[in-house]
Amino acid sequence: MGIKEQIKTVLREAEIYRTQGLFNEAMVKFKYASELIEKNVKPENGRHLVDGITKKVELLKQTISKYNDPEKPPEMPVEIQNLIKEKFSFSTDKESAALDGAIALTKFGQFERAIKEFKELLKMESFRLVAAKNILRCYFSSSSPEGAVSQYKEWLTPGLFTPGQLEKIRVFLENLLKEKGIESKLPAAKEEKAVVKEEVQAKKAPEKAKPAIKPLIEMPEADKEEEEFLDVSSVGIILETEGKKHPEIILDVSFQSGNMVCLIVPVREKLLIESMKAGLRLNNVQFYSPIAILNGSGVVAAFTKISSGPKMGNYSLDLKMFTN
Amino acid sequence: MAVFNIKNREIECKIVYYGPGRSGKTTNLEYIFKTYKKQVADQMVTIDTEGDRTLFFDFLPMGLGKIKGCDVKVQLYTVPGQVQYSSTRKLVLKGADGIVFVADSFTIRREKNMLSLKDLDQNLKECGLNIFKIPLILQYNKRDAGGSIPIMSIEMMQNDLNKQLKVPYYPASALTGEGVGATLKECMKLTLVHLQKEFKWAQ
Repeated sequence: MGIKEQIKTVLREAEIYRTQGLFNEAMVKFKYASELIEKNVKPENGRHLVDGITKKVELLKQTISKYNDPEKPPEMPVEIQNLIKEKFSFSTDKESAALDGAIALTKFGQFERAIKEFKELLKMESFRLVAAKNILRCYFSSSSPEGAVSQYKEWLTPGLFTPGQLEKIRVFLENLLKEKGIESKLPAAKEEKAVVKEEVQAKKAPEKAKPAIKPLIEMPEADKEEEEFLDVSSVGIILETEGKKHPEIILDVSFQSGNMVCLIVPVREKLLIESMKAGLRLNNVQFYSPIAILNGSGVVAAFTKISSGPKMGNYSLDLKMFTN
Repeated sequence: MAVFNIKNREIECKIVYYGPGRSGKTTNLEYIFKTYKKQVADQMVTIDTEGDRTLFFDFLPMGLGKIKGCDVKVQLYTVPGQVQYSSTRKLVLKGADGIVFVADSFTIRREKNMLSLKDLDQNLKECGLNIFKIPLILQYNKRDAGGSIPIMSIEMMQNDLNKQLKVPYYPASALTGEGVGATLKECMKLTLVHLQKEFKWAQ
């Protein structure tokens, strides 16, 4: 193939990649074509061509930079938000599903709607704390730390939270502010009356305290908790049937990934085997780790009979853990 | 995770189209939406950016009618392929009953295919699923571009992506529709057979 033909082929390829949205690949090919021209074509003939390619490369650079640093996800129409809520709620009980839905909205960057949903969840004692933390996180993700601070101040009014819960929220919020490079001293619940002025003395922390790169969508609180789950060596399950509590069944953990554990259920555990099905919530579960025993609950993610290998005939139970 | 309503004898399952950015996942769904009108239960929902990149996911609900005495419903999703949308990709993958991995046949995208398959493996593990156990089909898309662009041979793609998995694969062109229906049908078949073991949905 002659050099002219080769240049034409490379340019054609680059153009196809560009139209296909493969911008990095197009840029590589355009640059290669440019090099071929500069090496093989007389400057007076090749200059216009190289100039044209340089412009295209510049445009591609701008496009790539736009895609690599996307703006905040747009607020979607209510129908789409409802679809997100409906399709990405995986829990079987209504309350947990509502929490799943609100978290999904956060993950898809629908912060305003997510805040509304989490505010509804504040009415439920069991979800109050996690909902509050997620509300604050939503404010941060939508670039409004001030909103988070004023929301916290609103919650200081006695009634909704216990002092213990407020203290947890305060520490959580201060950490969020610190992550953003904002040092602050927020009023604690008990000193609420004493601190009237300037509760938040926001000042810029040293440059190095700033987070390196802001992720597109910050991870909701429930997920962070999943990542920090302790290593669990065995799990105790107390079944309840018709109001009767059965003795605890202790199962060894065969592997763990975050808050998901895989347990081997021996075939002799007939009651457990008969009761298990995907989506079932177990309300009375103990998680034994080398440093602590945690009380909590679990949701059955999968329950299957082992059909081969040394454990054949037994059952494999994948359990999602939730601690109290 | 599939839902089986024993009383109404209705099963609803989820198939996710996975693969690197710009490999043609959305184009697959668009073709299905246009072509299988009888089976399409509702409008296709697509949430993309200005440059046609999937931002969140695409969603297409289908009704296959009665199969072995059971009303079968399938929901098709695509994940956003771009690397930076890892969090949403994981969420869309959650609860998948079957997967179509759409690989790009362009030689220049060889590494991206392999990285995306590795990403699928990792994300499945995080969902408590196993890439060797879940119903999975590979689709080698953009076979029609061979005249103007260097594309990989099927053998090369098999060697890169399917050497260990050994799952069914289909050459395809989502733009023309070639191989799109066959890919989906095979994935549905494998998924329903797999779910039969779990739910015994078929009479």
